[in-house]
Amino acid sequence: MAAGGVARATASQSPAPSQPQLEDAPHAARKSKGARGDKAGKGDRASRPGTPVLAADRVEALRLALVGADDDAAIEAAATLSASGAPGAAEPLCEVLAAGAAPARLQAVLDAMAKLGEAHQLRADQTTLDALSLYSGHRAPDVRRRALKALGTVNDPRATPPLLEALGDAASDVRAAAAEALAARHEGRAARRMFALLSMGDAGVAGPLAALATPDMVPQIAELTGTIDDGVIADALGDYVKRADVPDKLRIDVLRTIGGLSGAVATTALVDYVASVPAKEDRASKKEAQKLLDQRSASQ
Amino acid sequence: MKTLRVGAMLPFNHAACALAACALAACATSPFQRAGNADDIAGAVARSQPPAASGRSLAFLALAGAAGPRLAEYDLAASRLVWTQPADVTTRVEVGGSVLVHGGKGTTPNGELVARDLATGATLWQHPFPSSDHLYGYALDGDALFVVTRSAASPNKPVGVLAAYDARTGSLRWQALLPSARVAGPAVRGGVVAVPLESQYVLLYDGVTGLALGQVLSTEEAATFVRALPEGLFYGSRGIFLLGRDTARGSRHATGYLAAHLPAFVRPTYDTDRYRPEQNEYSALDRNRVLWRVAVADGRPQFRDGLAFVHDYRFFFAFDASTAALRWAYVSPEDAVASTDTGRSILFASANGEIAALDPITGARIYQAGLPGEVVRGATFDAEGFGPAATAAASSPPDLLASLTAIIADPDQRFPALKLFAIEELGRQPGREVTAKLLQILETEKTSPLAVQKAGEMLVARRDAGALDLLTAALRAHADYSTKRPAPPVEVLARAIGALGPLARAVAPDLDAHLRLPETSPAAAAEIAKALVQIGAGESVPALRDFLTMYRADPGYERDPTALVAAAEALLKLGGSTDRELLLFLAEEPHTAAGLRAHLSRALGETATAAK
Repeated sequence: MAAGGVARATASQSPAPSQPQLEDAPHAARKSKGARGDKAGKGDRASRPGTPVLAADRVEALRLALVGADDDAAIEAAATLSASGAPGAAEPLCEVLAAGAAPARLQAVLDAMAKLGEAHQLRADQTTLDALSLYSGHRAPDVRRRALKALGTVNDPRATPPLLEALGDAASDVRAAAAEALAARHEGRAARRMFALLSMGDAGVAGPLAALATPDMVPQIAELTGTIDDGVIADALGDYVKRADVPDKLRIDVLRTIGGLSGAVATTALVDYVASVPAKEDRASKKEAQKLLDQRSASQ
Repeated sequence: MKTLRVGAMLPFNHAACALAACALAACATSPFQRAGNADDIAGAVARSQPPAASGRSLAFLALAGAAGPRLAEYDLAASRLVWTQPADVTTRVEVGGSVLVHGGKGTTPNGELVARDLATGATLWQHPFPSSDHLYGYALDGDALFVVTRSAASPNKPVGVLAAYDARTGSLRWQALLPSARVAGPAVRGGVVAVPLESQYVLLYDGVTGLALGQVLSTEEAATFVRALPEGLFYGSRGIFLLGRDTARGSRHATGYLAAHLPAFVRPTYDTDRYRPEQNEYSALDRNRVLWRVAVADGRPQFRDGLAFVHDYRFFFAFDASTAALRWAYVSPEDAVASTDTGRSILFASANGEIAALDPITGARIYQAGLPGEVVRGATFDAEGFGPAATAAASSPPDLLASLTAIIADPDQRFPALKLFAIEELGRQPGREVTAKLLQILETEKTSPLAVQKAGEMLVARRDAGALDLLTAALRAHADYSTKRPAPPVEVLARAIGALGPLARAVAPDLDAHLRLPETSPAAAAEIAKALVQIGAGESVPALRDFLTMYRADPGYERDPTALVAAAEALLKLGGSTDRELLLFLAEEPHTAAGLRAHLSRALGETATAAK
């Protein structure tokens, strides 16, 4: 968490009416300031071939728009920065987080950071991590969800604890965002808590849990039948069988469990599975899924 | 068995009544001209001899249930049922020398009085009241029965009547026309009958002759009850007057007056309102009352052992009558439907047939018996001085903390005020375990908002530095949906930690963490900010900065910037010049909540000199 304070770290960089000069700014702030200093994108990523480049004066103009009075202009600037995918595009966005803003602007900034992250243009520096971690604890779920999504794209183990913590969030979409990020990071430590959430009927973790579940968890998921909505179980198991690392024999068992579940989600899971197997591949599990589908059709 | 009709067999002898009234009032215009005459009262009291101890220890139980309405006599000393009789008891049982009397439904609109043989429960006589006569109360002195009624034989002019009967036969001995129809139920002790009248008088009569002996004029407090005890005759309402020379005019300054200091949840009435006939019935009033006895020395009454007892449904409490300090609390598993202070024990009967006695000094249960499987509607005790020596079956004195905790945790929703009292008392007790229990109350989801508030107040007020680790642990238990753990009571915890001052500085990081959590309410954030100042947590400056910047432009705080203002104040006090710069930026940045900007402009201006 922001040991030195995110505000202290980067608020000084905003062109606000009276800009605080932080002589004793912590490491993260100085680092960030330095990054702003090489606006043209000097640094490790700038030298990567094929990396988009945004002119320094353009970055500065966008930075001013981001922190200016006009919300619409700020939101547009955030979108432009993210679309550029340019190195250094994240720093002005971080400045907004450090100085604070109204929710609409915050959301645009966080979306932009997530987009940069997806394009591998979000540097795993302490300032960025601190800012995103801080906003993952914001009172507004929409802000938290976006912060977690952006945090999930940061390829650094320091991003994991806030994501794990967010599995206990009161808002289901926030938990889902954290779960998806953790699944994408193959964070096996999250599987148990995701299972706990699934057993409470939390549909948002079904897919992520399927990505992380170990074979021993599959029977446990199946045993939730009758305690939570069949659709949630079908969702989790349906995603699980599509994993490449699952033995086909286990797939058949799982597909049979799905076949025993009621509702359209179970049917969809079987259809999806059949569709996910390449046409030329002759899998016993595919035949089993088709058979189960035929049986479901016959029983209608 | 005889059936008597008041109207037919006991016509008012107006001449005799007038004579009796004249003897006191000297035929003057007002019948109350001698009201408050101390000599009259002193003379009457001198005639009232303490009743000889019967040595009995009996409980009379009005039973309901599958076997139908019945009246039972239970011998407490022998722990055995003496008799049971079919009886639809309406008004409470009064016990005399060899007779008991109670109200019954009868066949007339106003019911009847029923007399029974004490030894067998057999009916001796029934006394139906015609529609013109309303029963206000009755009392027994040996086998003399005194009955107060209001008679409306003359439709426009009801009259109050005190009548004396032979309780064994039901025959009239005398009757007196009372000077007012605003009458109340009587009490009788050692040959003197006391009848409250017009809320402010208590008229005294010779029980043998019916002659008027004196009139109390209660000048400062309504006289809604009269009560006969071995230690004297008493009257009063919100306090107790021992009938005597100095209480003839009912002044609270009289040495014969006393009132216990009791907590707010107690209904401080010392007996039933004898002006209200319905209070003669067994009712909820019997389950919620003050129990008291006095010791009289030189005409000055004091609560016996300095204690007043409160029966509140399932709960019994002993209070120091002069300070209201709680001495003990006893929790019964069932509602106690009736109770009495025998002078040596607190005796009660429960709705499920249990009869128990508590040691008045310790609250230990020293007696337990009963009628298992019965449903008890109400009970009367004739057990003066009943106080069995504690046996092996006796319980140890109730643990005060355990009793208070049981009251607080009781799912019964009938006692909100009592629960608040229990929380307050719990908070007054020393020890870490009390702090732990208060925290438990705060963390229990079912606790009512008022109880949470009270528990919070007590937690803050006790300033238990020895339990800082408990407060810290509570603070660290963050909300977690996946484990169904709710958020801790951060607002109260912050106040409690703040109250400890610099002693609690080590908790600052845990308070900081809550400033960054989504479930922390603005109110809690404000308390955290204040607490950080109180404990002098300079290391919390970064958390305060983060909180301020994160929410300074949040529309939620536009409406109520209290938390932002508190955080800004804390930053001003704990931070340095750099933080003033940040605050100046926030004050000038147009997106900052207007309330915070206004506050900062003022606060920065006011502290500018000091900062330099």
